[in-house]
Amino acid sequence: MSSVAVRCAAVSKRFRIYEHRAMSLRETFIRVLLRKQALLGRPYFALGDIDFAIAKGEAVAIIGTNGSGKSTILRVIAGIYPPSDGEVQLSGRLAAVLELGAGFHPDLTGTENVAIYGTALGLSRQEIRERFREILDFADIGQFIDTPVKYYSSGMVARLAFAVAVCVEPDILLLDEVLSVGDETFRDRCFERLRRFHAHGGTLIFVSHDLETVREMCTRAIWMDQGAVRMDSEVNEVVDAYLAHA
Amino acid sequence: MKRATTIGSLGSVYRYRELLWALVLRNLKVKYQSSALGFFWTMLNPILTAGVLIIVFTNIVKIPIQNYWAFLISGYFAWNFMAQCLNAATYTLGEHAPLARSIAFPQEVLIISTTISRLIEFAVELLLTMAVLAVALHGHVPASYAVVPLLVLLQFLLCLGLQLPVAALSVFFKDVQHALPIAIATLFYISPVFYAADFVPDWIHEAYLLNPIAQLLTLYHDAIYRGVMPSMQAIGTASLFSLGTFFVTYMIFNRYKHLFAEVL
Repeated sequence: MSSVAVRCAAVSKRFRIYEHRAMSLRETFIRVLLRKQALLGRPYFALGDIDFAIAKGEAVAIIGTNGSGKSTILRVIAGIYPPSDGEVQLSGRLAAVLELGAGFHPDLTGTENVAIYGTALGLSRQEIRERFREILDFADIGQFIDTPVKYYSSGMVARLAFAVAVCVEPDILLLDEVLSVGDETFRDRCFERLRRFHAHGGTLIFVSHDLETVREMCTRAIWMDQGAVRMDSEVNEVVDAYLAHA
Repeated sequence: MKRATTIGSLGSVYRYRELLWALVLRNLKVKYQSSALGFFWTMLNPILTAGVLIIVFTNIVKIPIQNYWAFLISGYFAWNFMAQCLNAATYTLGEHAPLARSIAFPQEVLIISTTISRLIEFAVELLLTMAVLAVALHGHVPASYAVVPLLVLLQFLLCLGLQLPVAALSVFFKDVQHALPIAIATLFYISPVFYAADFVPDWIHEAYLLNPIAQLLTLYHDAIYRGVMPSMQAIGTASLFSLGTFFVTYMIFNRYKHLFAEVL
């Protein structure tokens, strides 16, 4: 087994711009007739030639302004967006919390949603049953677990989703700006849990605008700018440079 | 870029069988828990529609089929299953876009889960139909009933085979939502739902049976209404069409599915 948890080798991501998301057939037909554009919108580069390797047990922050490609690189690593060029190599089980409570069905209870979310993250129902106590303790939503999710506050949704993702016990955990939700107590508990995850050799990659948290949690930071890596070094060095630039 | 092969994708669906099952249970729960009469509604809707068709075609437009009511219900529920699944295929992927954007999993699992939850309802309808016809029409359980599970399996594959391209196209083109009801309405008339396939004139009969839904409905009519074993040739042809449709469209679906998360 190599000591590298995540390797991005010359990863690029092109998106196509869809004016109306789902295009109309008429529009495509006209485009094809006029030979103006390829079938599916104009391409633009969201990520260009990204190269980095993250060692097992590292805690890495990805920082940068809005639209710099932070969330895109996380989705490419998580396998949600396939890279247009290059390759992502992973070693170990990966869990990602990219949109909190995404995929929770409002009419179903917490318990029922945990079954969907957990199995989508790769747990078996048996494993979910075994870890249910742990999820419940961490989420700390008490009897609300048997209430439809539509009656939850956003903090409660965040707690439940985070609780499921960490109980997967992944080797690599990706978090996208999810710790900004929730109150102080919850955040402290998340950090405590993340530190424990890190101390047990887990690899942590997270996107955050909260630079204090970044300094506290991570040893290394990657500064993304316009879809490219601008700086990749020790956390304080990168954060200082980023602050000086802004 | 690496593209998923059909066999590899089937393997990944199998790996996500726990998710598949959780989704099936969820579909059924969401549908039934908020309505007091629950499962009753699923039964009531097709029964009422079938009832209207029976009244119209035995009293107004008199279709010369003995025990028309029995003929109609022997194929109607299968048709209804098909139409509802096709319709669901236009919105299933869109509905689950937030999940697809935050977790990587094979998205055909979403389609298959809606089909299986409908299949469970269809199975109940079919069992009731077979029980009623055994008592009220045949007076015994015909041996041809034994072939029905195979027909259901073939229909399940055909259904998925038609849903996959509809679902993939719906991601890219909103038009599909508008076009599909027209297609379903047309299919209703060019498939033997309220009339028998042998009403179709000889000169067009072969072309008529190129429609795989027509083949399957004819097999249901034979096995459940007429109580005769369908010919091996008819079953073989239907099997080829169902398997062929499924594999070809699944291949196409796999070719485009990596784009879904970013377009939705």
